[in-house]
Amino acid sequence: MSTRRSRSRQSASRISDDQINDLVSKLQQLLPEIRTHRSDKVSASKVLQETCNYIRSLHRDIDSLSDRLAELLENADPIQASIIRSLLMQ
Amino acid sequence: MSPSQQPTSTNPSSLKNQFAHRFIRALKTLNHTKTGAAHDHNQMYRRSIRVKIASYTAMASVVGSRRAWSRAVLWKIIKRSRNQGLLLRKRKRRNPNPKREDFNPFRNSGQELKLRKLVPGAETMDSWCLMGETADYIKCLVAQVEVMKTLVDLYSIT
Repeated sequence: MSTRRSRSRQSASRISDDQINDLVSKLQQLLPEIRTHRSDKVSASKVLQETCNYIRSLHRDIDSLSDRLAELLENADPIQASIIRSLLMQ
Repeated sequence: MSPSQQPTSTNPSSLKNQFAHRFIRALKTLNHTKTGAAHDHNQMYRRSIRVKIASYTAMASVVGSRRAWSRAVLWKIIKRSRNQGLLLRKRKRRNPNPKREDFNPFRNSGQELKLRKLVPGAETMDSWCLMGETADYIKCLVAQVEVMKTLVDLYSIT
């Protein structure tokens, strides 16, 4: 890494490209859709776009799960709830 | 490896366990502070907001100060409980790696700006850190969703 840095400014973009691709491919691994498709290069902006969409859908999931949990907790039998808790705590 | 590599976060199953512990503890507190049969819409809405905040707080506290996003979430919660609606100017974080030249390949891309809005605490970090934080954030969100789904399934057994 240090040898690359000692190069001239002109190659700064070359450094960035390598690093970008590395990071972008790592991010790509986490995305559910792109991962199942071909593993060669997807454009960086596509990865970013999919990342944004994925995060938004996860947020929506958490919202709806919170709704359901709030409802269920309301009606939960307290004994049943404590049994569940003790099971999960193990 | 990348120059700014943070220590890797906990493996997914331990993350889920720790999150489950804290989240369930928080839910227990929520349950006790609630009044009796409150079936009106407003009450339910507020309850679900509290569950949601408990969920994000639990996950952020498991990750702790290791990550910028979790610090941002915890800071936001603390601020909110302190100020109750007063608007505070967001404190700008110093760049933790001032020697490295600012890494901004996507800087002006619309996608990156959208991403910065989604990941907590991401507005002032450079693109390198942003990628790492995003990856960790996604891993934790996925763990969060899985645990919550399990809980919903368990509580749905009548």
